Amino acid sequence: MILYIFSIMLLIFLAPLMPSFMKMVKMYLLYKKPISIFQGYRDFSKLLSKEIIISKETSAITTIAPFLVLSPLLLTLFFLPPIVRGEYYVSFVDAFTITGLISLSTFFLMLIGLDSASSFGGLGSSREAFISALVEPAMILTLFSVSLMAKDLGIGQDGINLSLHFPSAHIASFIFAGISFFILLIAENGRIPVDNPETHLELTMVHEAMILDLSGFYLLLIESAGSVKFIIFASIFVSLFVPFGLNLPVILAILVFIAKLFILAIIVALLEVNIAKLRLFKVPNLLGIAIVFAFLSLITFYVLGA
Amino acid sequence: MIFLLMLPALIMLVFSFWDINKSKYLFPITSLLILIPSVRLFFLPKPYALWGDYLVIDNLSAYIMLVSSIVAICVTLAVSTLDLHVKISKSENAKFYRFFAIFWIGLTVSILANNMGVYWIGLETATLSTVYMIKTNQTLAAKKEAWNYMIVGAIAISLILFGIILIYASAKPILGENAMSFSALLRSAKDIKSPFLFEIGFAITTLGMFIKMGFFPMNLWLANIERASFYPIAALFSGILESAVIVGFFRFSKIASVINHQHVFIFVFIYTTLTIFIVSFLIYRAKDFMRLFSLSGVEHMAIIALFWASGGIFPALLHFGAHAFLKPALFLSTGILESKGKYRIAGALKGYSGVKGKVFYFLTGLFLLAIVSVPPSPMFFSELYGFGAMINIAKVNKHLLLMIGAIIVLLGLLSIIFYKFVEIYQSMKYEGEEKQKVVYGNEVFALVIFALSLVFLLTPWSFEFLRSIS
Amino acid sequence: MTSFLIGAFLATLISALFTTRLYGLILWYSLNSLSLALLAISIGFKIDDNTMIISGFLTLIVKSIVIPYILKKVSMKFGLARQITPNVPVYYSIMLIPALLVFTFYLAEPITNMMSSNANYVAISISALFLSLLLIIEHKNIAAKIIGFLTIENSLFLLGTTATNGMPMLVELGIFFDLLMAIVIINLLFKSEELS
Repeated sequence: MILYIFSIMLLIFLAPLMPSFMKMVKMYLLYKKPISIFQGYRDFSKLLSKEIIISKETSAITTIAPFLVLSPLLLTLFFLPPIVRGEYYVSFVDAFTITGLISLSTFFLMLIGLDSASSFGGLGSSREAFISALVEPAMILTLFSVSLMAKDLGIGQDGINLSLHFPSAHIASFIFAGISFFILLIAENGRIPVDNPETHLELTMVHEAMILDLSGFYLLLIESAGSVKFIIFASIFVSLFVPFGLNLPVILAILVFIAKLFILAIIVALLEVNIAKLRLFKVPNLLGIAIVFAFLSLITFYVLGA
Repeated sequence: MIFLLMLPALIMLVFSFWDINKSKYLFPITSLLILIPSVRLFFLPKPYALWGDYLVIDNLSAYIMLVSSIVAICVTLAVSTLDLHVKISKSENAKFYRFFAIFWIGLTVSILANNMGVYWIGLETATLSTVYMIKTNQTLAAKKEAWNYMIVGAIAISLILFGIILIYASAKPILGENAMSFSALLRSAKDIKSPFLFEIGFAITTLGMFIKMGFFPMNLWLANIERASFYPIAALFSGILESAVIVGFFRFSKIASVINHQHVFIFVFIYTTLTIFIVSFLIYRAKDFMRLFSLSGVEHMAIIALFWASGGIFPALLHFGAHAFLKPALFLSTGILESKGKYRIAGALKGYSGVKGKVFYFLTGLFLLAIVSVPPSPMFFSELYGFGAMINIAKVNKHLLLMIGAIIVLLGLLSIIFYKFVEIYQSMKYEGEEKQKVVYGNEVFALVIFALSLVFLLTPWSFEFLRSIS
Repeated sequence: MTSFLIGAFLATLISALFTTRLYGLILWYSLNSLSLALLAISIGFKIDDNTMIISGFLTLIVKSIVIPYILKKVSMKFGLARQITPNVPVYYSIMLIPALLVFTFYLAEPITNMMSSNANYVAISISALFLSLLLIIEHKNIAAKIIGFLTIENSLFLLGTTATNGMPMLVELGIFFDLLMAIVIINLLFKSEELS
């Protein structure tokens, strides 16, 4: 139980670290002076001290919704696969629950965008709906395919099963599911081929457009929700698709887990530097590939048995 | 022997690199050489192994080889005055001969093949070489149609190979590497363990062949291509290429009939009836010679496939022979008719004077009426026997009434075609104004050879030979 | 290993269906042929069949290196359009491709009862054939259609390799010969287009 609480605290602690780490790697690769890795915490404390300004036009939703954006994601943190052997974990939560909690958070985010009645907010919300509608089926299919390979519907149990018996007989469908989930990780977290959170260009922005009106504590909540979402996806990815290191001694296992997360962050940063952002109407192509790969993974599992 | 069969094409291939204006008069003489081996094939003991198990002669392939050799000779004869009728540059003319030679080699291989793979290789070579032959016409339409043919032909030919591999997969457990050979497949078709796999393979192969012959869903591409290219290409298509395709259909359906005759018959019956239904109305709407003849070629191919699948081997072969002689003759004469003013049907037969002109006028009219089975034509007899075969198969299946109804519908559709052709004949003969037109000796000679071959097809010896093919 | 390579074959084919760039399409075709060649070589070593190994190496050289190289050269030389947008919208493709996959497995189900070992490979090859036909249908651009034709050829080869453990040597060589001839003809067609 202590390990369980410790691992959740660890994930919450790591959450603001990952985006600033990726930004650091990117700036280093672009020959800029890199920001500190702790920039995430600095932003956190800065936003905490700022005053809150709320537009006159908004209803109560703007004051409630930021909490509702963050809370489903925090809840999801409790259902993730374990990072250490012998740790307490929730075994019965399946693909639908995880996807549903994440979609719930996205739903409230879209409500915030619509609530302030600014033209940008509506635009951002409609784009977010457009993307997440394509993300959900792919995510459910992918997680189900992995669950089939791990022979259990619970995501937490799958992490254990996969680390005990790596599905080398089903390597093809395992890799397809991995490709599909990686595309989803990029799309759902607003990384570069789909969205660029660093710009405020009206042609391209998705995530930023929805939260333009927020400030202070509410902005802090949304920003932390973004980092927590990334850590959720990253930890699902590393524990399901790179299922190694779980059976090591406790300290070592935690270190390996953190190392895997940072390697994943470096890969995403490298990808962001090398790829141009897609036009919004090209995004369905990318997500279409994700859906088809998820389906292909299921098909190859059933038909080829591979 | 195999060298003799390839010799005329090889000579054509080599000499096309010389000055084409001189060497093109050599080709008609050298192409006559092919008559020696193809007639000799008749007197060899059958089955005669030409090249191991890959090329084997039986009565069917000897007959089809002779027919397509005659067509090839006549086309070579008529093509030597191609540049007088159409605008073609010297280098394009040379390329036409070069690819004609490759086409001829490919088709000889595929007609004589006893091996599914070899058959396919020959067919593919022929298909690819036709792509460039279409391109020798330097118009925009021909360019577009060459690409179209590249794609459609490639799809059709790939479907054929796909089906061949499936058939091979179904028979490999019992025959091993021999499962590629037609004769071995025919011998042990009953023992094939997975008939479903074989039938899927047969269906896909047949689909590919039917696409290549312009059947039901793909009716128009053949007419477009023959319209856009020079007229000898249309003659080669209908005379030789379709023979090679249909010989494959004959062989595959023979094996498939051993496994399940009912399925083959129903599949081919529905497919060909639909084709004839659509094509007859397309013919009724046709406004120029080329489209008219190429659509009628599709119709005749459908009839041949239908007769063969009904078990009427003799009428199918007779119809095939008659069509293979008549259609190239008509396409060649179309080239001459259209040389002054394209697309003009009215008065096309007027204005031919002198002995050559009179003979041309007489023969073209005769061919036009023969293609719609006016009695002395071999097509008349083949259709009689063919419908008889359909009735016979219905007697066995106890669907006599249905079959008679189907035959009446088919006859109705054929009468639409008949009406259109007679109308065109009258329009060619009696309407329009008279203009002076030229026809050359070699072309008339080619048409005479076609006419003589048709007459020979009607003799008792050829009937007897065709009946002996089983 | 076999299953993994077949999966890679399908995956590259599906990626090719979503590509909107000509060079990307050529790259996917090359990877498609590469997975096919590795498949043929690995099966050839497994069943100890020299024919299969030779044809696998021929595939590796001809289809995954020479043909993509020639196609790229040709398309650069004649300035073909590099942006190729599929006619079929992506929404429909997303539904159509899984539907095709399921349909072919349904079609091939009776074979599963008759053949013991390789029945699913037949289904995969038929679906690869349909996907290649879809690739031809969804593009108006002639170069993309040629790639579609070449992928049909690949799916034929996949069927020949997996379902029948290789065809007779003569036939395989003939198929390669015809493929090269097709490339020559394509080159000639482009060339005369440029001249006129």
